[in-house]
Amino acid sequence: MDSDQKSPLGWTTAAKIASRELHASRTKFVFVILSVAIGVAALTGVRGFSESFQKALLDQARSIMAADISAQMFRILTPQENAKIDALASSKSVERTWVTEMVSMASRQGDPVPLLVSLKVVDPAVYPCYGKIILHPAGDLRGALTDSTVVVDDNLLVRLHTNIGDQLRIGGQYFRIAAVIEKEPDRLTAGVGMGPRVMMTRGAVEKTGLLEAGSRATERYLFKLGPQSGKVQGIRAELEKILPEAQISDFRETSPAITEGLDHATGLLSLICLVAMVLGAIGVAMAMRAHLQQRIDTLAIMKSIGARSSDILRIYLFQTLLLGLAGSVFGLVLGVGVEWALPSLFGKLLPLHPPLRLPLGAVLAAFGTGILTTLLFCLPPLLDVRKIRPSVVLRKTVEGDAEKPSWSTRLRENKAQWISSIVVLLALGAIAAGLADSALVGKWFTAALAGTLAVVLALSTFTLRTLRAFLNKTRLHLHSALRHGLANLYRPGNQSAAVLAALGVGVMLILSVFLMQHAIVNRMNSDSTTGAPNIFLIDIGQNELAGVKELLAHQVGVNGKVETIPIVTARITAVDGVNAASLKLKNYPRRMLSSVPVTWADAVPEGVKMLQGKWWQTGHADGLAVVDRVAHRLNLHPGSVIEFQSGEEQIRARVAVIYKPEGEHAFARSEFIFPSGPLQGLPVVWYATVHVQPVQIPTLERALFAAYPTVTVINVADILETVEGVIHQITLVIRFLAGFSILSGAVILASSVASTRLRRIREVVVLKTLGATRNRVASVFSIEFALLGLLAGVVGVLFANLLTAVLLRKMDVPYHPEVVTSILSVIATAVLAVVTGWLACFRILGQKPLEVLREE
Amino acid sequence: MIDVRGLTKTIRNGSRVVEILKGIDLTVPRGQFLAIMGASGSGKSTLLGLMAGLDAPTEGEVLIDGAEISRLPEDKLAQVRGRKIGFVFQSYQLIPTLTALENVLLPYELNANGDGKQRAITLLETVGLADRLHHYPIQLSGGEQQRVALARAFVLQPPIVMADEPTGNLDSKNGQHVLDLLTERQREAKTTLVMVTHDQQIADRADRRIVVKDGRIIADENNGQ
Ligand SMILES: Nc1ncnc2c1ncn2[C@@H]1O[C@H](COP(=O)(O)OP(=O)(O)OP(=O)(O)O)[C@@H](O)[C@H]1O
Ligand SMILES: [Mg+2]
Repeated sequence: MDSDQKSPLGWTTAAKIASRELHASRTKFVFVILSVAIGVAALTGVRGFSESFQKALLDQARSIMAADISAQMFRILTPQENAKIDALASSKSVERTWVTEMVSMASRQGDPVPLLVSLKVVDPAVYPCYGKIILHPAGDLRGALTDSTVVVDDNLLVRLHTNIGDQLRIGGQYFRIAAVIEKEPDRLTAGVGMGPRVMMTRGAVEKTGLLEAGSRATERYLFKLGPQSGKVQGIRAELEKILPEAQISDFRETSPAITEGLDHATGLLSLICLVAMVLGAIGVAMAMRAHLQQRIDTLAIMKSIGARSSDILRIYLFQTLLLGLAGSVFGLVLGVGVEWALPSLFGKLLPLHPPLRLPLGAVLAAFGTGILTTLLFCLPPLLDVRKIRPSVVLRKTVEGDAEKPSWSTRLRENKAQWISSIVVLLALGAIAAGLADSALVGKWFTAALAGTLAVVLALSTFTLRTLRAFLNKTRLHLHSALRHGLANLYRPGNQSAAVLAALGVGVMLILSVFLMQHAIVNRMNSDSTTGAPNIFLIDIGQNELAGVKELLAHQVGVNGKVETIPIVTARITAVDGVNAASLKLKNYPRRMLSSVPVTWADAVPEGVKMLQGKWWQTGHADGLAVVDRVAHRLNLHPGSVIEFQSGEEQIRARVAVIYKPEGEHAFARSEFIFPSGPLQGLPVVWYATVHVQPVQIPTLERALFAAYPTVTVINVADILETVEGVIHQITLVIRFLAGFSILSGAVILASSVASTRLRRIREVVVLKTLGATRNRVASVFSIEFALLGLLAGVVGVLFANLLTAVLLRKMDVPYHPEVVTSILSVIATAVLAVVTGWLACFRILGQKPLEVLREE
Repeated sequence: MIDVRGLTKTIRNGSRVVEILKGIDLTVPRGQFLAIMGASGSGKSTLLGLMAGLDAPTEGEVLIDGAEISRLPEDKLAQVRGRKIGFVFQSYQLIPTLTALENVLLPYELNANGDGKQRAITLLETVGLADRLHHYPIQLSGGEQQRVALARAFVLQPPIVMADEPTGNLDSKNGQHVLDLLTERQREAKTTLVMVTHDQQIADRADRRIVVKDGRIIADENNGQ
């Protein structure tokens, strides 16, 4: 053909032809649009939600922090620090207040079953600097909170069966419940507490003796800038100088932990959406390929009257673009629904519910990803149009098994295909990296997804081949409807293997999440049902220790040993002569160096397995044992010299032992173990662990609280329940999004069914002509869909179990195949396939047999 | 025996009403070979379809062996068709996912009990396809496919066979072969055969010949021996 002849087909003509064809095959393309829309919807929802959430955080940043700047520490200020801050505050007219948070126990008067509560000590005259505490009955915190009252969470009233006006016993003292807290502006910054909130004044808490030195408490110093204070950065910098160990943040970044967590979650969830999107794009590519195959005649005619490959390419590129556009727009609309649904799935995990809006960033990300993936995946089938020869016009039938060219020629002929496949992979990697905001994650995600798809596709092909071999062996022995249904899997143009793989990947994704969740929760629960400790006592004073042990020894239901461990809080000032501020740390936040719990033992305690070194002989030896995890992060070896400071005391110790925690023992949670000598005389609190028969736990709690009101009892079952709740909530969201992949798989099935619509109509009318009833035709098709679903289910379930087993092994969680769940999943997939299949072609059952006389 | 009385068929095409058949009366006695001729678009296929109960007429009735079929519900109609009528079409209409043998077995499986396998094999042998039993339609030539269709039409030994231009897609040699097989079977089994054809030579071999034009029978003649 003459190459410098002007193209007979301009963009406008191409567009016209493209849209005419789209219109002619609307039913088919509805599914293509849906394929694109599903991924775009999921992505829009996730990113829209995340952005709205972030914006809501920023909008309310000051009240979320209740201040302009916050400094958080695990100890109270020294007098020197206090003086410096006072000076700063008065010179720059900065208002300051001090908040303490800790866990403790509280009970109702008359019924001494105590409840774990998260205590918050505030100065109602200043706190909160921003935002407002909303109380019920309505009132001012300053009015409600005195040294003899508390305000509490609604939840506490429910759990303790008590009311406003009742007396609450905390740390041996009684406080009147003045009001219920309906909204606490900085609850988010405080983190997820372990029990319901109880708020009290510093005067009140001082009466209780809860704030013994060594108790685990978090101190937050809040600062509010005045008009003369200058910039936030300035004050912040000065505070950082005064309090180098504190975690300082200002309202501009809200809580770094939250923002960071949100970013990670958004990245992860986006990738789950990307799976749905990739499956959708594969669906579009398959539909496009089938579409082009059906149009081979037309394309050949066009070519024989002078259209060039590039002209035809242009038509279909345009068509793909239109489909991608339509799908993306539709996806955006659906995405608003997803964004709307997400908060209720997150449930209580969300501290605030952002208003529903569609941020531009999310729209662009989802829209761009949608169109880009669609175009990318359609590239290989589109490039195929160049292979169509005009001579097809003369040969009416398309040969099924024409002579296959050799590998090398095929490789050469398909060069464009190979190149475009590589381009697709690279681009997908870039998209994934962009969504996850990490090149590494993008790379791994793409490799894993491509690998999984390839293996699942291979497995699907293999399964279909095996089944076909079986079919060919047994054909005439099978019931005819079953045989016909089976044979239909191999209908030309069915693309069964690809459908199977797509559906299988969806099943795999959603089932893996479920299996992981199940295995982890099971593991947690099985730990708690064995003889492992299920009660932790914390903050036992030195003078209380003997009494507590005595009490436990005589308590019903306490079986097994009571293990105790002393804890002294210290700070690390230097390692091997290197100052703490300039130490090289791996995954170890520097500020943690300022508050490390250390303990002592003169012989190897239970729960400690020595890896290197030798334990000391006497309590006054120079020695130190470090747990392997911390040793790794701080780069410690036997012989390293660490300098500690506790109170005014300086302690130098040489690392003698590196150990590994083992089993459920008190010492298995320790990080630094000293000989007893160096720590004598320092403020110490004791922790104890014990196993109690679950039914006896309330009795024990009651007895302990009566005698030792400042000792906090943590019931592992309660914590597990909380953790389980969180896991449940998180996996609910993940499963919801993974569900979009199943949806994509289903749409691919529907689209494949729709693209074989003409063939199916032929079949229906021929069967009816030969005397088949509607029921019979319906059962043949149902069997076909059900088989496809069953196979996809089996492939997906196999892979899910495999993936779960591998991941769980990495996490050291035992894996047990969940047979019932697996079987149910397979059945559910079959049902889904049947429903989907029929949705895509139910009208053809009503075809009149007369159609058989109309030639194609 | 097929009895057609006052048959009309109108089709609403948007706002336009097309009258395809305008009143057909016709009786085909048992064992007769009837050829239907006429120009393209004259309504031959429509007539054949109505006689076979593939569609419901607008007016009039069709009786097969004295029983009225044109108002039967869909599934009942399918059963009547399955037992009484065999079909051969211009474009073969084999099920592509089933083998030749399975295609021939299909009427058996849909309408009868027992094992029709032996009969199906014998039939395929008589049409010269003994070695193609397990081939798929796509692996057969047009003539071979039509011979499979032929075997399928006769497998249940139906009293009636209807054929719509069965040789229309075949070259003359293959067409001749198929036609020979068809008439041979018909004579042997004393089947009533209704065949639409454009081919005067084929029509000449029929017992009787009608010509349809604009939805009416304009000629009806028996071929004297
Ligand atoms: N479903 C329909 N919708 C509209 N018109 C129809 C329909 N079915 C048939 N017709 C019209 O009815 C007329 C008769 O059709 P029919 O198929 O019976 O013709 P025919 O004699 O078999 O022609 P041919 O020899 O070309 O097969 C034609 O003009 C056709 O266009
Ligand atoms: Mg016709």
